[in-house]
Amino acid sequence: MNNLLLEVNDVAVTFGGVRAVNGATLDVAVGSVTSVIGPNGAGKTTLFNLISGAIKPTSGRILFEGLEIQNLPPHKIAERGIIRTFQGAKVIKRLSVLENLMLGGQNNPGDNLIGFFSPRTRKAYEDQARDRAMELLQQIGIERFAQDYAGILSGGQRKLLDLARALMANPTMLLLDEPFAGVNPTLVEKLLEVLDALRTKHHLTFLLIEHDLETVMNISDRVIVMAEGRVIADGQPNSIYQNQAVVDAYLGTRKQSS
Amino acid sequence: MTAIMQPGFWVFILTMAGIYGIFSLGLQVQYGVGGILNFGHVGMMALSSYTMAILVISHGINFWIAAASGVAVAALGGAFLGLTTLRLRGDYFSIVSIAFSEIVRYVIYNSDNLTGGVQGSLAIPVIGDNYPSYTDTWDSLVNHIRDFLQPRLGDYVDRDFVMGVLVWITLAILLLLVSRIEKTSWARVLRATREDDDVPAALGKNVFRFRLQAVIIGSIIGGIAGIYWGLESTLLSPDDFLTLVTFYGWMILILGGATKVKGLPIAAIFFGFLYGGTRFFTFWPFSIIDSSQRAYIRIMIIGFALIVLMMRRPQGIFGKRQEMVLE
Ligand SMILES: Nc1ncnc2c1ncn2[C@@H]1O[C@H](COP(=O)(O)OP(=O)(O)O)[C@@H](O)[C@H]1O
Ligand SMILES: [Mg+2]
Repeated sequence: MNNLLLEVNDVAVTFGGVRAVNGATLDVAVGSVTSVIGPNGAGKTTLFNLISGAIKPTSGRILFEGLEIQNLPPHKIAERGIIRTFQGAKVIKRLSVLENLMLGGQNNPGDNLIGFFSPRTRKAYEDQARDRAMELLQQIGIERFAQDYAGILSGGQRKLLDLARALMANPTMLLLDEPFAGVNPTLVEKLLEVLDALRTKHHLTFLLIEHDLETVMNISDRVIVMAEGRVIADGQPNSIYQNQAVVDAYLGTRKQSS
Repeated sequence: MTAIMQPGFWVFILTMAGIYGIFSLGLQVQYGVGGILNFGHVGMMALSSYTMAILVISHGINFWIAAASGVAVAALGGAFLGLTTLRLRGDYFSIVSIAFSEIVRYVIYNSDNLTGGVQGSLAIPVIGDNYPSYTDTWDSLVNHIRDFLQPRLGDYVDRDFVMGVLVWITLAILLLLVSRIEKTSWARVLRATREDDDVPAALGKNVFRFRLQAVIIGSIIGGIAGIYWGLESTLLSPDDFLTLVTFYGWMILILGGATKVKGLPIAAIFFGFLYGGTRFFTFWPFSIIDSSQRAYIRIMIIGFALIVLMMRRPQGIFGKRQEMVLE
């Protein structure tokens, strides 16, 4: 075996004539931070939807830890260790912030009705999960909202919650869809630190989407550029940066927003 | 106006309120937690009560086994409805659920050889020996309890009173059980699914499984209500199971505040009094119209009361307002 955690092979999907992803091929090495950049409509989010099983590809294969996953339902893929966040962040508005986080817990005995009959096991898990959740809330600095409905959080706070919830699941690989867009710069710094720690301490692998090369330059081991559903460049951040033709042609003015 | 003075009438109202409360509790698990709009809930009640009656009357099966089988058939009905339809979008489920309960009713209506058809449970065919009425075992239990309680509590303890007490004890136990269930992480996932499927799925939760389980649990509770329904009315008719009954269950649920169980028993009593009390609208101006029209007026008054309440308290008697208004 090689050290590839994820392999996307010539994957395509069509939405009523639009080839949102059109034969994309890429891979992600174990323990790496790989960034996918590209203009709006390039197919980045669709690529995430494909990897996470939210949509099924029309053709192509996706391998995780050497096994095909493209036909698995999303919850099975999550169980294998791929956890994603959502562009613009999705929180469950009518659950508390803490409950949103607790949702991320894996193999919770209380999720199963059989577990209803072993209250001790359930409670032990919940207590531990709650501690972990509070710890994460402290790290992202929103612990004061723990008991409030997530629906009261601001856009930036929702993003942090979405990220923390993904971490609750103890993933092998994290898919982050524009995690920094709309988050204030000091917090971005802090997030980058958190992610870096996760990577070095827990050997987490990251695949993240940004539309801006600058943001991901320093943290990425590798940058993949997408446009019109295809991968048009793939390499070290510096080589991509110097590939001015790519940058100009496909990123245009780098200041465009999502 | 004399019946209104009779304690027996109010015992009847409270007993019906309790049965409707149990019925509505099934919807609470489905909708209050899982956001599942089931408009065919009465079908589960029909399945359980008819299964019980048929097993006892036609086959002489022990009442308790028959009642348990009735509840099991209701659970199967829920499983069938869920397996076939829950994968569709929520509104499709709602539509199909109405069709489901109507199909159950029509089948009962048209299966004379099994259910007694139009004539109801009295016409359920007896196979072999002459078996007792399906209420016999239950009645002897109720009479025992009455004989025990009457000397200790007083003459007002009659069969109906004991029945009411048993119904309310059942409701109390079920409320306790459901409120326990609703504190588990299972319920937390289900609450998440009422807003969004993608988030729980992306976190490894099989949304379909959670919904299916909620529908089955709700159907079991609806099935238990069906058993009591059969025992209270002592005979069954397909017309007991109109979709209107499902809506009464919904009415109680919404009055009580769908997301919390604690308002439900109070809402059930409120509904019982509204439903029973409006029977006595025989005075002016209601006396102008004849009694069959008055029945409609009654439903209109209930509806009107509900609208006013919902305008004043959209979250129900006990619900949290914030939970209703978050964007
Ligand atoms: N569910 C969908 N149905 C139809 N078209 C879609 C759907 N999802 C994405 N698309 C289209 O696919 C293309 C790629 O979108 P997306 O993956 O969101 O791009 P990006 O994330 O790179 O901005 C766009 O043209 C978009 O309109
Ligand atoms: Mg996108």
